[in-house]
Amino acid sequence: MNIETTKPTKSTKRAGWGSRMSNETYITIFMAGVLLVIFLIACLAVPGFYNPKNIINILTNNWYIVIIGIGVTFLLITGNFDMSVGGVIAMTGVLSVYFCQASNVSRNVLANGLGLPYGVAIGLALLCAMGIGGINAFFVAGLKVPSIIVTLGTMMLARGIGQVVTQGAQRNTSLPDVFGVIGNASIPGTTLKFSVVIMVTLLIIAFIFERWTVAGRRTYLIGANSEAARLSGVKVTRHIATLFIISALLAGITGILMTSEYKAGLSSRAMGFEFDALVVALLGGVSIAGGFGSVLNMFVGAILLSTMTTMATALLLSPDWQFTLKAVVTFIAILAQRWALDRRSRG
Amino acid sequence: MELTENVLEIRDLVKDFPSVRAVNDVSFDIKRNTIHCLVGENGAGKSTLIKILTGAYQRTSGTILLNGKEFAPSSTKEAKERGISTLFQELNVVDQLTVEENLTLGMEDTKFGFLRRTDKINKIVSVMNSLEPSIRPQQLVSTLSVAKKQIVEIAKAVASESDIIIMDEPTAAISENEIQRLFAIIKNLREKHVTVIYISHRLDEIFEIGDYVTVMRDGRHIDTKPLSEVKDRSELIKLMIGKTVFEQYTPRERDSADVILQVNHLSNHKLQDISFSVSRGEIVGFYGLVGAGKTELARAIYGADPYTGDIIFKGNKLSSTPDQVIQAGITLVPEERRTQGLFTILTLRGNIPVMNMKKISRHGFINGAREREVTLEYIDKLRIATSSTEKSAAQLSGGNQQKVVLSKCLFADADLLMMDEPTRGIDVGAKSEIYSIIRQLAAEGKAILIFSSELPEVINICDTIYLLYDGRMQDTIHNGGDIDSEMIMHAVSGVTAVSGVTAVKEVL
Repeated sequence: MNIETTKPTKSTKRAGWGSRMSNETYITIFMAGVLLVIFLIACLAVPGFYNPKNIINILTNNWYIVIIGIGVTFLLITGNFDMSVGGVIAMTGVLSVYFCQASNVSRNVLANGLGLPYGVAIGLALLCAMGIGGINAFFVAGLKVPSIIVTLGTMMLARGIGQVVTQGAQRNTSLPDVFGVIGNASIPGTTLKFSVVIMVTLLIIAFIFERWTVAGRRTYLIGANSEAARLSGVKVTRHIATLFIISALLAGITGILMTSEYKAGLSSRAMGFEFDALVVALLGGVSIAGGFGSVLNMFVGAILLSTMTTMATALLLSPDWQFTLKAVVTFIAILAQRWALDRRSRG
Repeated sequence: MELTENVLEIRDLVKDFPSVRAVNDVSFDIKRNTIHCLVGENGAGKSTLIKILTGAYQRTSGTILLNGKEFAPSSTKEAKERGISTLFQELNVVDQLTVEENLTLGMEDTKFGFLRRTDKINKIVSVMNSLEPSIRPQQLVSTLSVAKKQIVEIAKAVASESDIIIMDEPTAAISENEIQRLFAIIKNLREKHVTVIYISHRLDEIFEIGDYVTVMRDGRHIDTKPLSEVKDRSELIKLMIGKTVFEQYTPRERDSADVILQVNHLSNHKLQDISFSVSRGEIVGFYGLVGAGKTELARAIYGADPYTGDIIFKGNKLSSTPDQVIQAGITLVPEERRTQGLFTILTLRGNIPVMNMKKISRHGFINGAREREVTLEYIDKLRIATSSTEKSAAQLSGGNQQKVVLSKCLFADADLLMMDEPTRGIDVGAKSEIYSIIRQLAAEGKAILIFSSELPEVINICDTIYLLYDGRMQDTIHNGGDIDSEMIMHAVSGVTAVSGVTAVKEVL
């Protein structure tokens, strides 16, 4: 159409930098500020806290939470939960061991597997992980059952499969040497683990996805108003289904890496990780109501949590205080964000 | 207590909203133990008046006397305590409880924490019984029809000794048989010393059950009189419309043979056998009152709701999901802009380009510069008042929000644009801007469908107007002659006598 096709003129005045910044950016910067303050306090309070090795540790030791946090964050942005990720890690790990274990080598059932080549074994295990994601997708996107219920169900289903395959114990024998490679490999010349490289790569991809792709933009549209998104031509059902499958795939990758690291398939692995992933996302400022947040928020949240726990451990707080500490950090962070956003919208 | 003759006296009542005076100096009385009807077109001020009576709105000035005493409720609860109950269109019953539990909700008596059966409960149940014996107290409310649920609510209001029960379009969702049963009960209420304020768009009903009628128009009180003194429906319609001056419609040149959309025998849960066709450059209006099926028709064409029948668009059968319909070249400005059209928490840049992401992206990657350019272009074109592209849509005024929704649809570059209540809740200036955009689009060869409950709106801009009532097409008007608004009001109020009569009085 041609309603006096004018070039954008100067009449649309450009406001200052502060008000042009999106709320996401604002909250990310705000939480990064909070992180910095807590980091400085830690440096003052804990001798030797400011030490490159310790800092790298803080940035990387939560790699598994960050990887599953990516899927959890995108689903939160669409207004959905994924509580099945911890169970999927355990299941995928156990299955990768079972598929890879040599067949008919022992009278002990737990020492016998399917004897598949390593590559095929992890491929199949990842497919099973995506199967759990598919169940989530079917019930949540297809049948519109609330995601919290469905994924609590699949959380138990996935862990249950792990438990059946390991008979409540663990599988750790008759594995080829190659099985332990990726989980323990590190960048030549450094102590940086391969898993951390994967974390960084996935974070960068996720950030590009949310900022610069059409599919990323649609994720926000669904969370902001799913009915308006549908009426604007977004295939809401298919989109949410895809995200559930991706989230399960990320959990599957995490499961493969962790299992490789310990060379053991254990059905109780990653217990409670779904909550940790949720906590770091919320800590960083992802909105539980949907439509708002970023993987960067989640990453900042993960570092924040890691800094706090490291500091607490160093200050000789017993590990029994871990959960209480997480609770306190979560409450403070959420109050701070509320306060910051209210102030911003009023000002 | 000495009972006054008038249960309610309204004097010089005024209610101002930021841009409009919704109730303008209204004064009238409601006599005790009568059925008092309130009529007027959409936007006449009926709802605002009712909301003041139920405590949902606070008046700007004026007085209301209830039983001779000043009445200024600050909440629905307070209004109820003073004796005004309301039967809203959204019923206030709990489906999972029994009839008896619903009736006594909030007035349970307990002893040591256990529920006690008191005389009060027995009394309420007996009121229910006298109104409608066929409803059993132990029945689950979810098993009742809409009409019977309404009766449960009426019983509750009667039992709590309300002086006045306000009924807002109670027959909108119930069947013909049930309407008769409901009317019998309403007439019966007079004996229980209850005054009924009855609001309905169906004028037949007013004549059937009303004692008095008050007509409102443009926020003003026009007349109050006994229905026995009203000659016929036409007299009422004249009072409702008044001497409406329609803005001049100017016929435009167009090729009516170039059909772009053809709808054949469309039916669904709300619509019955709708057929029509639209040509390029044509502006078509669908006019009807609340519940006539306008929104349902728009949503069916858009693929948002299921239907039977077929829709041919540009020679092909139209698919039935919104994303495919948009691909084919149809867009919709939905009825509820905040819940269906706008992403309020996102920025303007996050809103305007969303229906045509292809145009601002390559291989799935968004071109940020292009995206900002497009947003600025539409902010300029439609004169959206905002300081930047990064402002969230929630911060804009209603008119500007509507322009954002319209921008979304325009950017999708469709050949057919549907607009459901395009100017609801926006100010006069923005309204006329939207009308001129619509005319311009038509001049460029786009087809436009307007779904509206405002008669001046469709008469002002539409070439062809279809009248809807209860999901059916009542009549067609080819705009350009003199408009017989009485006939239109007859058609959309469900009077069938006009079928076959040509709608336009040719006056030279």
